[in-house]
Amino acid sequence: MTGIEFPLALFLLVNLIVALLAAARGPTAADRMLVALLFGSTGVGILVLLAHAGAGHELVDVALVLALLAAITGVAFAGRAWHAGEKKPHD
Amino acid sequence: MIEIASIVLLCMGAFFYFSGTVGLLRFPDVYSRLHALAKADNLGLGCIVLGLALQAESLAVALKLLLIWPLALAASAGISYAIARRADALGIRPWRREDT
Amino acid sequence: MTAALLRRGILFALLWWILSEGRAGSWGLGAIAVAVALWASVRLLLPASGRISVAGLFAFMGYFIWNSVRGGAQVALIALRGRQALQPDMLEMQLSLRSGAARILMVNALGLMPGSLGVRLEGDRLRLHVLDARMPIAVAVRALEARIEVIFREQP
Repeated sequence: MTGIEFPLALFLLVNLIVALLAAARGPTAADRMLVALLFGSTGVGILVLLAHAGAGHELVDVALVLALLAAITGVAFAGRAWHAGEKKPHD
Repeated sequence: MIEIASIVLLCMGAFFYFSGTVGLLRFPDVYSRLHALAKADNLGLGCIVLGLALQAESLAVALKLLLIWPLALAASAGISYAIARRADALGIRPWRREDT
Repeated sequence: MTAALLRRGILFALLWWILSEGRAGSWGLGAIAVAVALWASVRLLLPASGRISVAGLFAFMGYFIWNSVRGGAQVALIALRGRQALQPDMLEMQLSLRSGAARILMVNALGLMPGSLGVRLEGDRLRLHVLDARMPIAVAVRALEARIEVIFREQP
């Protein structure tokens, strides 16, 4: 713990909120899907910083599970692309 | 010494997250926003877990933090391709310099 | 077969050691977890099929992680310089990778490589978005493809 973890976690939280608002406003449906990317990276970053700012090391486990779920989501998307992509790319 | 290295890495991490958000706000279409978010945020996360791993009290704790990063990389790669493919299927045309 | 099982068992035990943060008292539960993981891994992925080069996979992971760092730093600089630093374009390329898994890995990995983003894969036609058409993306795509060929033993 160096003392800058908590301010940095707050900084990332502000980043996350700004990015969520920007992504949710669109303009296209694909832009709104960008929200899915934000939790896997910014959300996990905030959790590990909070864990080291004194909120308890259990938060590292939470971050790990969140990253794992995001990875499974990513792989599931990739697998769907494999099955659907070759026959009908316009799903 | 290790503490200084840790602080530098944590600040670099915050900088990359910040530039990812800047890219999201500034870039003109969903494809280039995907480049900014996926790549910059992942590098930000990498710097943060490395910076925190330097402070860890044991090797196992440090490795646990570092394990988060490849998972996040796999997540971002899969999700960003899925979004790009969807955008292409929706017929969203990429922004080009001559459009403006 | 036994060698493959042993390798996986060691890998899962190492993973448990990391997840339990090296606590000695957790190995009772850990032994069960490693056994279940081993059972699931044999059910889902038969060992010793010899189709994947483990050395190639590790080389690819190193290359992928290093280039994702390069890509992140590069896009951060472009983002701070703003829109005038962009010159996006769509490229179409022909992939020579044969197996479906290799192509899927390729198009997904592209999203974290410097300046490139996989957009569509139809058969062996790859469509990708590039942030800056002045960067030598085609060369980088071929280099990535060669690394994936090594993993799946698809040397031409």
